[in-house]
Amino acid sequence: MESERELIERAQSGDTGAYDVLVSHYSRRVLSITWGIVRNAHDAEDLAQEAFVKAYQSIGRFRSEEPFGPWIFRITTNLALDALKHRKRIRHEEISDQEPAARRDSTDLQARTNELARRIDEALEELPEMQRVVARLHLVEQFGHREIAGMTGLSEGTIRSHLSHARAKLRETLADLYGGGDD
Amino acid sequence: MTDEQFFERLRNDAASLRYEPGSFALARIRARIREQIEQRPTVVQLLARWFRPLTAALTAIAIAAAIAVAAIDTGDNTIDEPGVEIVMAGDSYSVGQ
Repeated sequence: MESERELIERAQSGDTGAYDVLVSHYSRRVLSITWGIVRNAHDAEDLAQEAFVKAYQSIGRFRSEEPFGPWIFRITTNLALDALKHRKRIRHEEISDQEPAARRDSTDLQARTNELARRIDEALEELPEMQRVVARLHLVEQFGHREIAGMTGLSEGTIRSHLSHARAKLRETLADLYGGGDD
Repeated sequence: MTDEQFFERLRNDAASLRYEPGSFALARIRARIREQIEQRPTVVQLLARWFRPLTAALTAIAIAAAIAVAAIDTGDNTIDEPGVEIVMAGDSYSVGQ
């Protein structure tokens, strides 16, 4: 089994097979991040693809001793946030038109049938945009504050602030499931 | 339950919301990425690859030549600076040689 560093070095010398191994290793996570941000299966796939192609084009400048994950996650998050800005209006139309069909074939069907997961998902979607993105990266994707800061280009303080506001709103929305204020 | 405890429980429960793409979707993405990164370069891209270093080399040579000519000119001026010839009442005098 080749190390990630070896795969990166081979990819840097033009070995597309080595890069394919990296893609297979990270594509699930990358797709989950893009889907969490744009909430559309089709756009999420396009963005994941774009992120990997963009990373390959600049892999020559990447330091092979660094882990590949944070780098590809940062590229992915930036592309998804840009798409969110530029396609906001279109996205809303797509979600209302295609979302049920797009999600029907995904394995998150199991999550949708779970009442608790469904309620959390809805509560997250009610948050303002950046709070929603940051809360999803923290709660669903399980990234830490520093990792999210690196991925979004925001400071750790801003991430904490977004999470603090999101937590207050989520606690209010999900009060019947988790209880209200401190007790 | 404190805010921190609530958030920790919520984090545990929300982990199940992670999007799990099917194997077909993952294979499709991999194939599309492979196709894009293995794409053969167009004639224009190939020509650009050849011409870029060639143009850079020619530019460097031209700059070096221009600098060399300028240096030689400057050298000539300082070494062979001519004197001043003054003609007075039919006699000529040279100054500064």
